[in-house]
Amino acid sequence: MREVSYFAPTDVGEAVKLLAEHGDKAAVLAGGTDLVPQLNYYEIKPAALLYVGGLGLDYVKEEGGKLVIGAGTTVAHLLANDLIAKKFGVLAAAAHTHASPAVRTAATIGGNLGTASPAGDMIPSLMVMDAEVILASVRGERAVPIKDFFTGPGETVRAADELIVEIQVPLLPGKAVFEKIGRRKAQTCSIVSAAVRLEMDGGVCQDARIVLGSMAPTPIRCPKAEAMLKGKAINAALIAECAAQAVAESTPISDQRATAWYRHKAGTALVGRALAKAAGV
Amino acid sequence: MTEYVGKAMPRYDGIGQVKGQTKFVDDFILPGMLYAKAVRSPVHKGVIHGVDFTAAARVPGVIGFVTADDIPGARLFGACGDQPVLADQYTAYKGEDIALVVAADEDACAEALEKVKLDIEEQEPVFDMFEAMKPGAPLVRPNLKSNLWEYGPDMTTRVMYLGDVEKGFAEADYIVEGRYQTGEQDHAAMEPMVSVAYFDEADRLVIHTHSQCLYFQLGQLAGIFNLPMSRIRYKGGVVGGGFGGKNHIHADHLAGLAAIKFKRPVKYRMSRREDLLYSTKRGVFILEYKTGVKKDGRLTANHIKLWHDAGAYGGFSPYGVEKCSMFASGPYHIPNTRVDGQCVLTNKAGSSSMRGFTIMNGQFPMEMQMAKIATELGMDQWELRFINAWRDGDMGVSRYVVRGAGALEAMTEAAKLAGIELPDRLLAMSSRGR
Amino acid sequence: MKQILSFTLNGSPVDVVVTPTETLLDVLREKLGVTGPKRGCDDGDCGACTVLLDGEPVRSCLTIALTVNGRDVLTVEGLGVNGDLHPLQKAFHEHGAFQCGFCTPGMLMSAKALLDHNPNPSRTEIREYMSGNLCRCGSYEEVIEAIQAVAAGEYKE
Repeated sequence: MREVSYFAPTDVGEAVKLLAEHGDKAAVLAGGTDLVPQLNYYEIKPAALLYVGGLGLDYVKEEGGKLVIGAGTTVAHLLANDLIAKKFGVLAAAAHTHASPAVRTAATIGGNLGTASPAGDMIPSLMVMDAEVILASVRGERAVPIKDFFTGPGETVRAADELIVEIQVPLLPGKAVFEKIGRRKAQTCSIVSAAVRLEMDGGVCQDARIVLGSMAPTPIRCPKAEAMLKGKAINAALIAECAAQAVAESTPISDQRATAWYRHKAGTALVGRALAKAAGV
Repeated sequence: MTEYVGKAMPRYDGIGQVKGQTKFVDDFILPGMLYAKAVRSPVHKGVIHGVDFTAAARVPGVIGFVTADDIPGARLFGACGDQPVLADQYTAYKGEDIALVVAADEDACAEALEKVKLDIEEQEPVFDMFEAMKPGAPLVRPNLKSNLWEYGPDMTTRVMYLGDVEKGFAEADYIVEGRYQTGEQDHAAMEPMVSVAYFDEADRLVIHTHSQCLYFQLGQLAGIFNLPMSRIRYKGGVVGGGFGGKNHIHADHLAGLAAIKFKRPVKYRMSRREDLLYSTKRGVFILEYKTGVKKDGRLTANHIKLWHDAGAYGGFSPYGVEKCSMFASGPYHIPNTRVDGQCVLTNKAGSSSMRGFTIMNGQFPMEMQMAKIATELGMDQWELRFINAWRDGDMGVSRYVVRGAGALEAMTEAAKLAGIELPDRLLAMSSRGR
Repeated sequence: MKQILSFTLNGSPVDVVVTPTETLLDVLREKLGVTGPKRGCDDGDCGACTVLLDGEPVRSCLTIALTVNGRDVLTVEGLGVNGDLHPLQKAFHEHGAFQCGFCTPGMLMSAKALLDHNPNPSRTEIREYMSGNLCRCGSYEEVIEAIQAVAAGEYKE
């Protein structure tokens, strides 16, 4: 039988040394909800499992105007956390749609980033808040703006010897909303997801973020659609125009979950719905 | 007896389920048990020139392999007796069982499977029924006259009829045509396919099975193993969901063969992904309707042509065509009806029974056709059905004389529940006569 | 690389030799003879493998066994006390909250976790919490009724 090593370091320093040593021959194991199916079906054959559940990365803190979330924070803990509920409600709303209660017990926010699926449920909420992903290695730490973190389906800028340790979320103003549609009402991978954040002054939009998930090789910002709203009074007509523009910036495909045609329609509806909720229109 | 009638009684065997103690087939784990996994065809169709196990045999934990040459008895099985137990000359669908790897655990099986070398000459497959029926289409497998199932010598259409459809069309004021399709589905029972086989203290072959129909399958297994039924203890009764998917033999034959060869307990199981990809499915039906109707809504003729995608082997599909044909005209009085059914082979894993096996595949299209007819006639949907529903004494192509017809009463009740007021002239109708 | 895994299973300490890629489901079923948790999909979708880990529901098919070291695992086998059925088990039995029974161990563990967290759940809360346990026989309605009956105090421990 193939020999597989198992490491369970107790601090990040130890963990990154192991990663430096083994690189991409080691699989990082947190909640295992994406990794273990691949092991069960023999899709991957790592020489080592590096368990990061003992690194103390399950925390949510407020520091210097930011929410600082440990990469090892489980989705269940995000849902139960008071700070998240009070200051980052859109993430809780997204977490509520993620998989199922038993998967949420184990799944981590860092894992959702590391798996880098274009359908990742936690990602759009982080993107509308201009979050930063903190990576650690033997070379130190670096911060990557989340909009630059993903390079393709399942691909990120994380080097093989880097570990995702933290997500820093500036507490930007405005109302953020997350919408998701799947083939089922629960325990479903998104066919389309959308998150928006609108900074409003009276009825006029000061700043906007619009993110689409499952509509491109990575979750994407829709900058042209965002620019359409800036300085404008938000009404139903502008929302409709903006939603159409957002979807025009995406490249939905047809796959086993839905056709590109459907994604186009659903994406337009979800962005419109999210904008209306965020603007209170 | 009267203490229990009319009461909801907890199941006498339910305690085992809620305690998690009921033993499903996968719960049998015996000392020294080996695991078998299937070497599967990587191509949709091809000629098998050879299988090389040399490298796979060196994987630690591997005990050996089972091929068609190890089969003591019949090498073909299935309801039509046309499916290879283990394909050794040709393969007719991607995923088809070619051989078994038998090892101490499934990890070793997985490693060995990667090292098995298959020499298969890939051939052109055909997936679409109508492509498969075209003259000159690639044959799904060798030694077929065509890809159409033969019900009798040179008879590839199963015809059922009542009256004379041409006469019926002549009587009609309108003729409505429609084409309908029902899709492919998997049962996705919570329990994937699995079987455990071993010899007991009296040298009888014990097989733990989740079969839905032990007596359909025991004879086939006895034939494959070349054992009298008295030497097989076929133990079943605990099924983790069947829904028709466990009427075909998926695992018992393979576990049994491995147990016979290695004289040790063997478990053969399909992973969920293997089960979804390769076990039998509800196969596609395509139906074309040509229906004659009078201005007053009475149906005079119904000519249905239907095609069923059987996959690569017959299985229950030829019977399925017959069954669907009996129901494809719905519970309606149409004195001139004809159904031409064809069972078509394609290079796909087999179709088999599933929930109301082929009945829905006929009734649903007929309801779509009725909806179309009512729309084209400008007639109320309820009215068309009330006029034509079977009454006692009516007959369909199965020539069963209807007794106890109840469609009108059911529709009346449904309309009431839905808050729909039906006109008196419909409510005055009765299933007891016209 | 084999290692000894030590954990508490249904209230009793257990030591077992495992390899790093073995899941908790593998270890429970194949090594410890605890076959209540079922293998339905091996990728976390069906819920038949659900057990409680430190009181929280997890997919044992997705849990690498070595990560359970020192922790507390509860399976359907550990639900009753001194041979008596747990109220949920009684309720499931009397309400017919199963047909084939394959999903039942997982359903019971999720239901226990639900009532431990939320002793008086609404129907919506029940449906949401149980959404990760699939049943192909279609016993969902009876499962909901059984849970409601226990929450309403109809079955005392």
